[in-house]
Amino acid sequence: MSLNNNFLQTLNQAWNDHQTSMVMIRDILMYMDRVYVQQNNVDNVYNLGLMIFRDQVLHHGQIKDHLQQTLLDMVMCERKGEVVDRGAVKNACQMLMVLGIDSRTVYEEDFERPFLHQSAEFFRLESQKFLGENSASVYIKKVEARINEEAERAAHYLDKSTVNPIIGVVEKELICKHMKTIVEMENSGVIHMLKNHKTEDLACMYKLLKRVDGGLEAMSQCVSSYLREQGKALVTESEDVDTKNPINYVQNLLDLKDRFDHFLHESFGDDMKFKQVISSDFEYFLNLNLKSPEYLSLFIDDKLKKGVKGLTEQEVELVLDKTMVLFRFLQEKDVFERYYKQHLAKRLLLNKSVSDDSEKNMISKLKTECGCQFTSKLEGMFKDMTVSNTTMEEFKNHIQAMGSNLSGVDLYVRVLTTGFWPTQASSPKCTIPTTPRQAFEIFKRFYLAKHSGRQLTLQPQLGSADLNATFFGSKKEDGATSTLNKTSSGPRKHIIQVSTYQMCILMLFNQRDKLSYEEIQTETDIGEKDLIRMLQSLALGKLTQRILVKEPKCKEIEPTHIFSVNDQFTSKLHRVKIQAVVAKGESDPERKETRCKVDEDRKHEIEAAIVRIMKARKRMQHNVLVTEVTQQLKSRFLPSPVIIKKRIEGLIEREYLARTPEDRKVYTYVA
Amino acid sequence: MVPFFFIQIVMLVLAWKLDAKQMGFFTLPEWLKGFSEILCDSVEKVQGKLEYLRSILNDPVQFKSIYRYAFDFARDKDQRSMDIDTAKAMLTLLLGRQWVLYSCFHQFLEQSKYRVINKDQWCNILEFSRTILPDLSNYDVDGAWPVILDEFVDWLKTRQQLHIEVAQM
Repeated sequence: MSLNNNFLQTLNQAWNDHQTSMVMIRDILMYMDRVYVQQNNVDNVYNLGLMIFRDQVLHHGQIKDHLQQTLLDMVMCERKGEVVDRGAVKNACQMLMVLGIDSRTVYEEDFERPFLHQSAEFFRLESQKFLGENSASVYIKKVEARINEEAERAAHYLDKSTVNPIIGVVEKELICKHMKTIVEMENSGVIHMLKNHKTEDLACMYKLLKRVDGGLEAMSQCVSSYLREQGKALVTESEDVDTKNPINYVQNLLDLKDRFDHFLHESFGDDMKFKQVISSDFEYFLNLNLKSPEYLSLFIDDKLKKGVKGLTEQEVELVLDKTMVLFRFLQEKDVFERYYKQHLAKRLLLNKSVSDDSEKNMISKLKTECGCQFTSKLEGMFKDMTVSNTTMEEFKNHIQAMGSNLSGVDLYVRVLTTGFWPTQASSPKCTIPTTPRQAFEIFKRFYLAKHSGRQLTLQPQLGSADLNATFFGSKKEDGATSTLNKTSSGPRKHIIQVSTYQMCILMLFNQRDKLSYEEIQTETDIGEKDLIRMLQSLALGKLTQRILVKEPKCKEIEPTHIFSVNDQFTSKLHRVKIQAVVAKGESDPERKETRCKVDEDRKHEIEAAIVRIMKARKRMQHNVLVTEVTQQLKSRFLPSPVIIKKRIEGLIEREYLARTPEDRKVYTYVA
Repeated sequence: MVPFFFIQIVMLVLAWKLDAKQMGFFTLPEWLKGFSEILCDSVEKVQGKLEYLRSILNDPVQFKSIYRYAFDFARDKDQRSMDIDTAKAMLTLLLGRQWVLYSCFHQFLEQSKYRVINKDQWCNILEFSRTILPDLSNYDVDGAWPVILDEFVDWLKTRQQLHIEVAQM
């Protein structure tokens, strides 16, 4: 060791002496330098001296190798943690740089190249050792430390131009070659970090992998496959995950998005590539479940209804904004539109909206995403509601002027313009009891007098009624006494809020005490499915909701079962709302029907797009046409090329398009 | 309506020459014009011309014209399309002997759900028979073939695959 030090010191001394001497010699021969050397284009004195030193001293036999070995050994010692004479090394390196005269070749050949080679070997071995012994996060920190150390070493006592090459070597050996291993390390790699919210560790890994080509790619792939797995689990129907409850379904997805947004911001520095990957992953699994559009609409529906528990207006706004982010990922936006219309109609008609403002707010969000076509019908629905209010004001005045009171019926009619509201195949039948029916007739006459040429059709499935009810029976004796309800045997009066169908059913009991299911069906003419649902909510619900009783007392409803008024009915509330038995979301047959309607609409939309494009371009090749159509419709849904082809064939048959005689792959527009 | 009228394809060629509009009938003007064109004014002369008429089928351009004519001629005038049974019979007549894949196509039609053939499909069948090789090697999915032919190719490929698997057993 000391021998080496002496050697280096001796060499440095020789070099210093040489430089001093050369300066002096140069000064003496200055005239020659300035005149002869310039004129004859030969090397100047100083450089000549350098060359001699280089060739005679430095490259003299063993000195070259000895110098190289000494320097390398010293670096190696320092890496191992020993203290070395940095000054000596620095001098030697400077000497090599100078001796290259106008280039760094001497330094490169005599020192840098072997240095880099040795370093590569060293780090190769070190990486294996580190990886074997440490978890990913610890390994990463060690690598960071090594990089800093090497950079500092190069900056301090090697030549500064070596900084980048040595860092490159470290990166290659410690990072590049082991990217996959680091990322995929069991129990400590990316997946572990994501699962356990190790935001900082992820940030360190991101920073590290950013240094090398393909590093971030490896990391983002791992993140992506984990995210896809998690997302897929949330949307796939299975026993563990509750995919039947739309609210939870969407909330889970929102939570997942929040988690990854957090990682994106805190760990990945809002990296664009990671953002894209996360978005495409969400798009992938959100659309795996065909019920996503419906569920998204139901979730929004839940947030826009009265009585949203525990959320302030701002919180609701925030949630809806996040929901819009998910909406953007939907491929079947036209399906969403259909459900949104249905749910909005229910909210408006059953007066369940929290406020008009929040509804309009939501619609303007959708408008920003999808344009006016999406929202114009929705806005029409609001207009109908406002106009109906005005109409009712005028009707009230009209009644007063007439001096009638509609036999005590407090009538409220909402007139819906057919085009705006979700369509029914045909208006369901229902026999309305005399009194309300007559009141409606008076309104109908009033309205049609003002708007001749229009047709009004009653929609019994959408209406509701408040009934005054008197119960004559005595209360059931209750074991526990309650201070609120005093035992009384007088008739009890309540106002019950029911649907129109239920009103028709209940008013039958004004004439008769007992009615069988069959009789009710005949008298009301209500369809079986709806009738059963209505009777279930009136007779088979909670005790505080049981307006009717049924003989026999079982859950099923058969045609011969007898219904009668529950005279024992009691409720703490004066005004009792009868909850309808309604499932969140559609039943499977209903869903199928909606899907059929969607497919029908899509056929028309595709044909309209084809005609629009061909009318403008007149001639087009098949593939180009298919691409254009797909592009135009992509904000609504993704049509398959086969379906587009079928529509083209349909249009050929109806002579909107034709194939050109010279090339059957090219279509022309037939004017 | 089964075209029992065409026991021989030469009758179709004759109808084409006469530019007859309705299968099973020749109007007087059609009759006069057509037979004048082929220079026949007697039964013997017509019989003599039959060979000539048959030979017209060998010219691809004229054959195409006759084939296309056959669609309008044989379909029910109330409909835009030809019912499937008529189509099968006409195709057998026209393509049965010269298209290698015809019997496969016929089987395909039998088991398919198609009840009618429209004009575009009809014309493309001829194109297909003329351009696509029997082993379907030059069939291009992007070739803007009507869906019925895409389905035929899929059906045929599945069958061919099954035959290979059976043969290897």
